[in-house]
Amino acid sequence: MQDTTFNELADLALRQTGQAFERSKAYLMEARLATICRRESFAGLDDLAHCLKQRPNPRFEQEVAAALTGKATHFFKERETLEQVIAHALPARLKQSTNGRLRVWCAGVATGQEAWSLAIRLSELVDQPLGKAHVEIVATDVSLPALQIAQSGTYGHYAVQTGLSIARLMAHFDRQDTGDWIIKPGMRETVSFKRQNLMESANMLGQFDVILCRNVLSKMAPVMAKQAVETLAGQLLPGGFIFLSQDEDIHPIQPTLKPSRDMRGAWVPVERDESAEEAA
Amino acid sequence: MKNCLIVDDSRVVRTVAGRIVQDLNFTVSEAGDGAQALQHCREAMPDAILLDWNMPIMNGIDFLRALRRETGGDKPVVVFCTNENDAEHITEAMRSGANEYIMKPFDADIVYSKFLETGLV
Repeated sequence: MQDTTFNELADLALRQTGQAFERSKAYLMEARLATICRRESFAGLDDLAHCLKQRPNPRFEQEVAAALTGKATHFFKERETLEQVIAHALPARLKQSTNGRLRVWCAGVATGQEAWSLAIRLSELVDQPLGKAHVEIVATDVSLPALQIAQSGTYGHYAVQTGLSIARLMAHFDRQDTGDWIIKPGMRETVSFKRQNLMESANMLGQFDVILCRNVLSKMAPVMAKQAVETLAGQLLPGGFIFLSQDEDIHPIQPTLKPSRDMRGAWVPVERDESAEEAA
Repeated sequence: MKNCLIVDDSRVVRTVAGRIVQDLNFTVSEAGDGAQALQHCREAMPDAILLDWNMPIMNGIDFLRALRRETGGDKPVVVFCTNENDAEHITEAMRSGANEYIMKPFDADIVYSKFLETGLV
């Protein structure tokens, strides 16, 4: 790949999804765009970049940028954070709820395993107040192909065996003739999937009690990550929590959020009345 | 260091699986069928058993049922590792005392994930 091609594609990724690419990650670019290159019969990324330049097409640009985002995930990734959400954040929000309804936004879910893991975990809370609450999970990603997989709830041999116990697999998935496994109908209704670019307003999604956005911001250029955090924070209900990966620090780019005192990986607005956090 | 007994009639599978569990800090023992495995367990009960289903002499499910009847046979964490990947076989394995289930083919990530599920790592 020529340097100009790399620069043009890196610039496209930055503009559209905020993702930052270093030259040393050119191999990732080639791997993530291989499917599009094959489909469009491009000889390589130089051809792809030439096409983008000669025949500008916003929809194709969007598809290429989305394909450049990372999609490596698995079921029950970073369990400690998931348990913080289940054991502390959602119960704290439920105490403050007047109608027993909670909303969770899983942002940047790629192929959806995080959202399904949360739904599975919630379904296991049979005798707890949270198990009786109505928890709406909205999962978003910028990549339509990834969202199609997420929404289908269909996963292959390796995906269902990484992070998912056999008991959970049997309880929540049905095996298809193809050898793939599909989420059971009862579970399917608990998660809705939508396309959302964190560089754009998310007002249409509404407000949320808890927002999970893990391993997304750390892949972005700082100025774009700041914009993404503003998008997330704009959809957070007063008293709500934003969960990032535990090694992601957004305080330097977004001083209006601070780490929660009680929950690792959780961030809360700085103007929050401290007593609200005590309830957690 | 914990010990893992790998029970499979394929020497290739025993070798591949052995390397994976060694990387997870286990010592490795091997058996080519259920009868050999049962004899091994009577002499030294392992911490973990990676168990194939279809083997000559004594198959995996018969070995598992016999193991669970042995003194101390409730202790090893048993992870089936087999080509039998339909719901009926999985249910039968779990009812017979398996702790986890791997559907072949497998890789290091899958073995690690299943060992994590059972608290072995």
